[in-house]
Amino acid sequence: MRKYLIFSAVAAAMLALSSATFGQDTTRPGAVPDISGVWLVENFQPRLFPNGGAPFTPWAEMKFKATDPQTNDPNLACLPMGVPRFMIAAPYPMEILQMPTRVIIIHEGPQMMRQIYMNRQHPKDLDPTYSGDAIGKWEGDTLVVDTIGFNDKTWLDGGGLPHSEKMHVVERIRRTDHDTLVDTFTIDDPMAYTKPITAQQVYKLKPGWEIQEYVCEENNKYTYQGK
Amino acid sequence: MRNHLLVFPATAVLLLLSFAGATYAHHANASFDMTNSATVKGTVTGFDWTNPHAYIYLDVKGKDAVEKWSVEMGSIGMLARAGWRRDTVKPGDEITVIGNRAKDGKTFLRLSKLVFSNGQELTTTVQ
Repeated sequence: MRKYLIFSAVAAAMLALSSATFGQDTTRPGAVPDISGVWLVENFQPRLFPNGGAPFTPWAEMKFKATDPQTNDPNLACLPMGVPRFMIAAPYPMEILQMPTRVIIIHEGPQMMRQIYMNRQHPKDLDPTYSGDAIGKWEGDTLVVDTIGFNDKTWLDGGGLPHSEKMHVVERIRRTDHDTLVDTFTIDDPMAYTKPITAQQVYKLKPGWEIQEYVCEENNKYTYQGK
Repeated sequence: MRNHLLVFPATAVLLLLSFAGATYAHHANASFDMTNSATVKGTVTGFDWTNPHAYIYLDVKGKDAVEKWSVEMGSIGMLARAGWRRDTVKPGDEITVIGNRAKDGKTFLRLSKLVFSNGQELTTTVQ
């Protein structure tokens, strides 16, 4: 009996620990993994292809040659980085909030809110936007996010990789341990790239951090020479 | 001026900056000389605790005249996490700033480390 109690206590403690560790209660029917919290990219790399070699179509190559991070990065005008750039190539923290119907990502700089709808399809005839229309579903421990409906005013990264309104981004977001979140991106845009681009970003949990105000227009001394 | 501006190869500083550079994501770093580190000593005339960048303005005594320097940092959210506050520097403070100077030769610096007159140091790196 005593052994049984000890075993039960250990098992209960382990269960409690695993729930606390990953912030989830998998014993509850319908429960989903907890990916909420403030996260920061582990390694900031502004360029998806730091050594070149992006599989441009001729259309995208022409657009890329006209980009210059010194003069026409939309960021210089405090325009949104949009999706997927703020998820891939931004060194500011983001907070993930989970609700049954939505996952909300608040990004600190430039401030942006991304909404991932959990129980609906993409609407028809979407207006193109910086963040697009994102829908999500859980596949086991992985949040799969499908985003379309983008405008073509953003870059994929800080190096100027262009994209079209046809871009389709699929992300697989998984908490691999208590402190680590991994997002694997597949960026498909046949108008801009001859094959899908895949990328991965690793985020680290930042306990105690809160998202701060970031008003980019307040004291922006940079000049945007885009049209 | 030359007494106050030291330029030296800075591999170690670059390593230190590998994430600190991240706080400058509002714009690319190509306009700064990222291979050399510059050190400038001067008197604070102003401090913009603002986004997307904070700035320190310095008067730097040269042989013949006073040079006006601008020192750029990252966003105030990230700076606060690195230990900065809105009153970290005040007009009249004598400070030394270490960072990367603008390639075009302007008296403009991208900060990596601040040294107070009492020797205390503050970086822009978030731990």
